[in-house]
Amino acid sequence: MAKLKETILNPILKGNPITVLVLGICSSLAVTVELKGALVMALSVTIVTGLSSLVCSLLRKTIPNRVRIIIQLVVVALMVILVDQVLKAYAYAIDKQLSVYIGLIITNCIVMGRIEAFALGNKPIPSLLDGLANGIGYGLILIAVAFVRELLGSGTLLGYPVLSAIGYVNNGLVILPPMALIILGCIIWIHRSIDKDLQEK
Amino acid sequence: MNTNSNVYTIIYTTLVCVLVAAILAFASQKLAPKQQENEKAENISQILTAGKFGTKEEWQAAGNAAIVQYYKDNAAVAFTVNAEGQKVRDLDIASAEVYGVPGLKAQNYNIKGGKPYDIPVYQFKNGITVVAIYGAGLWGPVWGYISLCNDLQTICGAYFDHESETPGLGGKIKDDPSFRAAFAGEKITLGENPFDIVKGGAPGGVLDDSKVDAITGATMTSKGLDAAIDNWISSYVPYINAVLASKAAETENAEEE
Repeated sequence: MAKLKETILNPILKGNPITVLVLGICSSLAVTVELKGALVMALSVTIVTGLSSLVCSLLRKTIPNRVRIIIQLVVVALMVILVDQVLKAYAYAIDKQLSVYIGLIITNCIVMGRIEAFALGNKPIPSLLDGLANGIGYGLILIAVAFVRELLGSGTLLGYPVLSAIGYVNNGLVILPPMALIILGCIIWIHRSIDKDLQEK
Repeated sequence: MNTNSNVYTIIYTTLVCVLVAAILAFASQKLAPKQQENEKAENISQILTAGKFGTKEEWQAAGNAAIVQYYKDNAAVAFTVNAEGQKVRDLDIASAEVYGVPGLKAQNYNIKGGKPYDIPVYQFKNGITVVAIYGAGLWGPVWGYISLCNDLQTICGAYFDHESETPGLGGKIKDDPSFRAAFAGEKITLGENPFDIVKGGAPGGVLDDSKVDAITGATMTSKGLDAAIDNWISSYVPYINAVLASKAAETENAEEE
């Protein structure tokens, strides 16, 4: 039980894929202009990492070692295309906005990384939890960055005027990708100053 | 069991591929009707946006049913025209029949290959005519709609979309309203080269008619869009000429009477 709790909490805190492992940076710079896009991306990645970890873990004893990366890739691609198809049917506007990045989930290092590092050596339930927790850990950072960027960049949150309602002048720099990197750096800095274990000697 | 033998590996990968293909085929079939409905509403909302009946955001908020209903209420006639400028067939307004992106793509092959083509014209009750364009951007296809005012030579509005242009650069053809707004009021030349998207603006910052400034940092997308507009609008020119000729004949008749 303690081990399961560790599996869930580690990717969110001590082993966060973005702030500690520094994976998935590309998409965290790209889809954090608006909170809405970040929420959908977080949800999609969580579902994809969870399900593909589960499937790969179920198959782990049967997968021929020489072609395991290809099999993993096929499983991840299947999940990504399914997510894309469902979004196309039920959330078309979001799909149109995210379509480029959804394709990129396949190449998101977190998904393949967790399968290779965890799912292939563990039972299905812990693998599913590990995948979901990594997706959540990734998503939390994404949402935090998007929160700051949408608030300071457009003065809105989820499209509703917040700062712009009280006469805030939008900051163009926050909208651009470099600012996402700076915000991300600040988050990593805060994370490291709270959790002293993460600091290198 | 030896999971590393060649036979096992081949059989295993084959099975996985067949299974995955079956799952995807099933999902695509189940979701297709809903997806097609979304795509159709998207196309109509782009036509309406080009015709200046509202902004894209407004249509997005309005939802599929409202978009289709607005089109049905406000479209006067919709039909396709050929290289001789003649009507080929009607597009049914009651069922909101429009050319989808694959339809435009097929006609683009015909236009470029010099084959007989069949391209859509949407006319609205307020006199605005919307025509389509399609071509190649940098990474994938670009397409869109241009609306013409009553005289069929002045651009009233435009909307462009793309499959995979770089966000922030080529993607601006869709995302930057000021780029699209620049098309309004420009004249098209009724010939081989109806319109230009030019680099670097013009001396004094004022561009001639039938020219707009290209997007900075997106030369290939701008060129692709320019070629798409030239190819398609020049394909509409026979139709435009035919309409203008019949209009001129009508005024002449009226004067004689």
